[in-house]
Amino acid sequence: MDLLTTLVSALLVAGLYATMSYGLALIYGVLKIINLANAGLLMLGAYVTWWLWSAWHLDPLLAPLIVVPLFFAFGVVLEITLVRRVIDREPIVSLLLLFGLWLILQNVSYLIWTGDTRSIDTKFVDATLDIGGMRLAWPRVYVFGAGALTLWALTAFLSKTHAGRAIRAVAQDRDAAKLVGIDVGRVNAMAFGLGVALTGFGGSLLSLLFSFNPDFGRALSLKSFCIVVLGGLDSFAGVAFGALALALAEGFGLRYMPAALQNLISFVVLVVVLIVFPKGIAGLIRSIRRA
Amino acid sequence: MRRRRLWSLLALAVALALPLLAPHAEYLLDVAFLVLLYGAMATGWNVLGGFAGQVSFGHAAFLGIGAYTAAILVAQGWPIWATALPAGALAALYSLIIGWPTFRLRGPYFSIATIGIGEATRLVALNWTSLTGGASGLTLSAAPSPATQYYAALALCCGAVGAAAWIQSSRFGYALAAIRSDTDAAETLGVDTTLAKTQALAISAFILGVAGCVYAMHYLFISPDSVFGFSTSIALVVMPIVGGLGTVLGPLLGAAVFTVLREQLEANFQNLDLLVFGVLLCAIVLFEPAGLLGIFNGLRQRWRKHS
Repeated sequence: MDLLTTLVSALLVAGLYATMSYGLALIYGVLKIINLANAGLLMLGAYVTWWLWSAWHLDPLLAPLIVVPLFFAFGVVLEITLVRRVIDREPIVSLLLLFGLWLILQNVSYLIWTGDTRSIDTKFVDATLDIGGMRLAWPRVYVFGAGALTLWALTAFLSKTHAGRAIRAVAQDRDAAKLVGIDVGRVNAMAFGLGVALTGFGGSLLSLLFSFNPDFGRALSLKSFCIVVLGGLDSFAGVAFGALALALAEGFGLRYMPAALQNLISFVVLVVVLIVFPKGIAGLIRSIRRA
Repeated sequence: MRRRRLWSLLALAVALALPLLAPHAEYLLDVAFLVLLYGAMATGWNVLGGFAGQVSFGHAAFLGIGAYTAAILVAQGWPIWATALPAGALAALYSLIIGWPTFRLRGPYFSIATIGIGEATRLVALNWTSLTGGASGLTLSAAPSPATQYYAALALCCGAVGAAAWIQSSRFGYALAAIRSDTDAAETLGVDTTLAKTQALAISAFILGVAGCVYAMHYLFISPDSVFGFSTSIALVVMPIVGGLGTVLGPLLGAAVFTVLREQLEANFQNLDLLVFGVLLCAIVLFEPAGLLGIFNGLRQRWRKHS
């Protein structure tokens, strides 16, 4: 029973982790840059949801309807005005630029919303679900469902639509994509916008589970990096798998170590994976299949 | 070259005489102390981040280890000045342990891993209560006089800048520059890149460890969130880049701007300083990668052409 509880809660956490990591993976896959502003965007997604709820009484479950388009537009603007200028320079330049952007987002939030811890408190947030004696918090189940649905929608978008195929073509080979007449600049802007929208969506969902302040997202972002590296940096199924692996490692690790050290696990996993499988677990499986 | 030496001697003379010139201007001495301390820290970061091009977001770890070493040894009855060397040595040793796995990673991957290192080190310091006192931190009893503190920071800063100047014009410095522009090409030319990067990291960590000792001497209270905090790591990245990445004097200039700006802004608007620095960082990355020093040099050249 105890083992089952750990497994189920790890599965729910994995849905959450995957949702907050898709944006990072999409942006890396297409633009080949690491979005260090990810933490800031997660935090902003949470704040916008909170603000819509506290100032306009909008149900936090409906907030993504506003957050996703808003963040998509924001991402497109960021790509056109900032990221585009550094995309052809050394990787460290874009990393530093996005780091600067993170600092800006974080400290603008301190000015607007102060450093006070905020949380969203509705009936839904406190509701629990009983399954065979196991008590699960409704928001966790909801976030897991949203994560799974996002994975399905993303996969369908990337394989069925013209725009999705263009994104995949650029991710696979930028020059070849240009040769077949794809507007790479437009695809970049779209992919960055979509990545930011996904991160904002993740932040919006996180606001149901956690309280937050403008520094929110740093520890979670480290987990996202870990997950995306585990998943091989550019495949969504890989991201979902990486999220599950990390959630399991954390869930079982916590049985043997104090809770205060939970964030150490993701770091240890990150370093070990980076060293042992530089191409991620997905890359490892691919190379085994080929052999 | 001779003119440059003359200027440095003049600057040193002014710096040495500052406590005598301004015996009652405590505020001025305090700001000067902070500029020197942060200048030394930024210079230390720059050895790895600027010269070798390996940007670290976790350098607070080394400052923290130096500060905790100093505080723990002082509690054992050591005089504070004698803890400087062990503080630096322990930080350098820690950097070797960390460098071994992380230097297998390149460029952005290394940088991401350093965020993890900084966070992991802070968590360990926070939870190893028997050694570090946990969240309540460690307190030192007696502070040396402001003038003594100032001279300690001055010595530290001169040592750091001197080391940076030596590295830049040495064979080792050329190896680091080769790594920065193209690691594979450097390897082909016969540079042992992992060794060179590890050495740069160790020197960098040593400087930050000694800075930790001076930090402890000044603040008399250290806690995981102050010395190991992410904001310290942020400051360490921002100062050298704003001043001039990979130059000898850029980090010092960046530290001066950072400290003065923070002193001016912090009293009235909390967090505005980091906002300003985020904007500065973005602007410099986009428009002037050589930093404020680059802007300054450009202006000087233009002025010379006109006259």
